[in-house]
Amino acid sequence: MTELAIVFFVWGFASLANATPLILVTLGETLGQRTGIINLGCEGGMLGGACAGFGAAMATGNPWLGMIAGAATGILFAALHAALVLGARANQLASGIAVWMLALGLTSYIGRAFVGGRVEALPSLAGTWVSSLPLVGRGLEQLSVAAPIAILLVLLAVWWLERTRTGLSWRVAGESALIASENGMSPTRARLSAVLVGGCLAGLGGAVLSVDYTQTWANEITKGRGLIAVGLVIVARWNPRLVLPVCLLFGLAETAAVRLPAMGVEMSSYLLSGLPYAVVLAALVANHLAFAPAAAMPADLKKVFD
Amino acid sequence: MTPTSSGRTLPFAAIALATAAVFLLAAATFFIAIGQAPLRAMIDLVLFATGDAFSRVESLLKAAPILLCAIAAAIPGRLGLISVGAEGQLHLGAIFGTALVLAMPQAPAIILLPATLLAAAVGGALWGGVPGWLRGRLSVNETITTLVMNYLGILMVNGLVFGPWRDPANLGWPATASFPDAARLPVLPGTGLHLGLFLGVLLALGCAFAFSRGIRAERVRVLAMNRKVGETYGLNFPRFAVILMATGGAAAGLAGICEAIAVQGRLQPGLSLGYGLTGFLVAWLCGHRFLLILPVSILVGGLLAAGDSLQLFHKIPASSATILQGLLFVTVLAVPGVLNRRAS
Repeated sequence: MTELAIVFFVWGFASLANATPLILVTLGETLGQRTGIINLGCEGGMLGGACAGFGAAMATGNPWLGMIAGAATGILFAALHAALVLGARANQLASGIAVWMLALGLTSYIGRAFVGGRVEALPSLAGTWVSSLPLVGRGLEQLSVAAPIAILLVLLAVWWLERTRTGLSWRVAGESALIASENGMSPTRARLSAVLVGGCLAGLGGAVLSVDYTQTWANEITKGRGLIAVGLVIVARWNPRLVLPVCLLFGLAETAAVRLPAMGVEMSSYLLSGLPYAVVLAALVANHLAFAPAAAMPADLKKVFD
Repeated sequence: MTPTSSGRTLPFAAIALATAAVFLLAAATFFIAIGQAPLRAMIDLVLFATGDAFSRVESLLKAAPILLCAIAAAIPGRLGLISVGAEGQLHLGAIFGTALVLAMPQAPAIILLPATLLAAAVGGALWGGVPGWLRGRLSVNETITTLVMNYLGILMVNGLVFGPWRDPANLGWPATASFPDAARLPVLPGTGLHLGLFLGVLLALGCAFAFSRGIRAERVRVLAMNRKVGETYGLNFPRFAVILMATGGAAAGLAGICEAIAVQGRLQPGLSLGYGLTGFLVAWLCGHRFLLILPVSILVGGLLAAGDSLQLFHKIPASSATILQGLLFVTVLAVPGVLNRRAS
């Protein structure tokens, strides 16, 4: 019994470490979608962030510079998406895919130089005061500072959306661009800033993934995490608070896929690595069965989905 | 279906010319950035794609899966659905077709070949039909589900060829046994051009016909323009969504089995070089017009085939082709919008 409890306990923290990049991307995508812009290109932003972040961390030996480079690259790709949808009024879904395609090619081109490179991870929580905490200390030791930073950013986003004037203008832009401009707010400015902040978080998430979590660079290292984030925003019902539990679900599935074989479960590792994707699909369907997500969807976003 | 803003629009030819010019400029910039002489690289690109009989066959071989995947995206596109699932459907088609070949390898070609193609179409249709059903019945966004299902399809192929389907005679190489001769696609003698390309052309022509006239085409058009209006006339949107997504999936499934049978001769990882995404780009580029998809697929197939040769002779990495595709997609989305905005 206690053994089982320990397994779940260890898995919980492993899931959080796994889900940290996804939490950042999903949070960023939530902010963008709250203003009425869906960005499938966050997969590209995340890839770009993972590539540039790894390159910067490798070259300088400083993981924090990797984070900065990753975030900046994420902003760059988001700016392209914003230019296409806000400037050229392109279809949002198509534009996101175009940005993703470009990032896919660019990162695999530039990333050739990073294959086999070594980076230093972000500081671990092990050996700090958290290790001495009763019960949770042993679990927290497995984490780096990335996880608490991601959780803080989620709280910050909740406060920003619900308690600040700018946050209000973002939400209004998402519900109705018309009402926003009638009340003297600029919906375009709200959307531009939210998409750029979303890109920043996507790039940061990518950098955390390559520099801190896997500490390697590989082509298409994100494996669709950014695309999954777009789906998880719906499951989280556009509520930044729910980003945390929803992403943990994915993290848990990935942890299970990695750890089940070691526990004697005989199953193809390839089929097991499909588990997180199946879980996300199931969550998406269950969410549509249980609630009507359209009710929670920012009204202006519905135009994209119809 | 062309995604542009409302209001006064410029003539199609002007927009197409401007888009092509901007893309050439972007491509030239890219070649300069990677240290290649842009004119030389672009001339070589054309030469490598069309220069001799061999390269023309290579271009057409690459065009076959792109054409089928573009059809897979364009059919649901006619209903206003954005399906990016051809990559997964292609893999499912390969799985279903291969399962049939492995189940009855001794069957004569006259039975085995049609049955294999049919099984592949069913596999692809399943992987397209499910997101279609989810969209129709539950309003689950089909773009997201198809994208996620792509990863599942690829992992399933890997799981099978690294697992139960791995042929021990391959000495550890993850692949099924070579397909029997009876399962080989008919090939144009001396070229290697297989039935897949022929199927794609036939499908494109058939779709062009089916979606241009008749009561069904009209129904799809009405539903695409306004679902509510269509439904007040008694049209069943969910049913159209399932049928069109499944039909598209079947086309991509055919692409998958044709690659496995004709190009690789067995099922193994690396079945597709991103044909699904390229097909999506082609379909979008052509505004889901099948008669336009036909030549553009061949052009893009040429680009990919030439990319292989550029990699060989100019030491330009394969990812350059993906970058050029990305640049093309961005240009196609940017230029018409900006021009129309200026004009209105």
